[in-house]
Amino acid sequence: MSDDLETDERPGRGRLVAAVAAGLGVVALLAVMTVGLLNQERGNSIQRAVEANERPQSPDFELPALVGGGSIEEGGSVRLSELRGTPIVLNFWASWCVPCRTEAPVLERLWSRYRDRGLLVLGVNVQDLTGNAKQFDEEFGLSYPSVRDGDDSTMRDFEVTGVPETFVIDRQGRVAALRVGPVTAEEQLVEAIEAVL
Amino acid sequence: MRWLLAFVAVLALALPASALAVTVDEVARDVKCPTCSTPLNVSEAPVALDMKEFIAERIAEGDSKQEIIDALVEEFGPSVLAVPPKEGFDLLAWLVPLVAVVVGLMLIPLLVLTWRRRSPSSEPIMGTTSPDELARLEDELRRRSEG
Repeated sequence: MSDDLETDERPGRGRLVAAVAAGLGVVALLAVMTVGLLNQERGNSIQRAVEANERPQSPDFELPALVGGGSIEEGGSVRLSELRGTPIVLNFWASWCVPCRTEAPVLERLWSRYRDRGLLVLGVNVQDLTGNAKQFDEEFGLSYPSVRDGDDSTMRDFEVTGVPETFVIDRQGRVAALRVGPVTAEEQLVEAIEAVL
Repeated sequence: MRWLLAFVAVLALALPASALAVTVDEVARDVKCPTCSTPLNVSEAPVALDMKEFIAERIAEGDSKQEIIDALVEEFGPSVLAVPPKEGFDLLAWLVPLVAVVVGLMLIPLLVLTWRRRSPSSEPIMGTTSPDELARLEDELRRRSEG
């Protein structure tokens, strides 16, 4: 007898719409999680490679020279890949950064000590006002050059999350060492510099 | 009309210069702190303090709000703006929420129609039962009550 009674249980369009919406929601969530995981991986890949005694290829950049020094002229353009063949100490800094004030004289001494052997100390000024950055350079009497990364793009490429941070780059343009935080004594970089000279 | 224009001109001259000038807060509201990405007017990061000082100096020099914002974009790039510009790829930030709202509004009547169709009919069930089925039902009920 129950077979004769009609029921209104057929799957409606609403249920289909809900299922599709839920499916899209799950896909969107998975996409966000995947992007997050991939970015996390990217976030410290240079550091992890260096810690594993590898020498990852350094990201390239082309930035305006904030202050000149050595063969780099103020106002000119500096492309890192064109400096291939030169060992480089690349230092990310800002004028408002207190540890950078401790570090600047140490980097100046390293530049004086090793420039005759071919080393280039190159500052990358980030998250800063041009006027303040130049004032900082004058205040510490820095003779090594600096470029300016106004929009943080190079900072992001090097996965720098805070200043100061310093990279030692070999003649082939590979990152041989990096230091997160200030260089407070020459000895902290001497071994890494000697290894790339 | 001429009297009205003259009145406005006199009023403008009577106001102190400081009342007409833009304030640091007004400019800072429209830009972000590059280190913490919060609006500059609420940020206390070292670079934010430097930027506010920069804004104050530019105001003192007589620059307009737009000129100061342009100078900050020159320094830090368009990402320093608190709201993305309405051009290029950044236009998506304005369009996507609008499209989402329009699609959402279009979905509402569709969902309402679907739900109404699925809701139980207000007509009594008995109304659709044939006399033959009623007879069988009564017969079944009688048998159960006897058994």
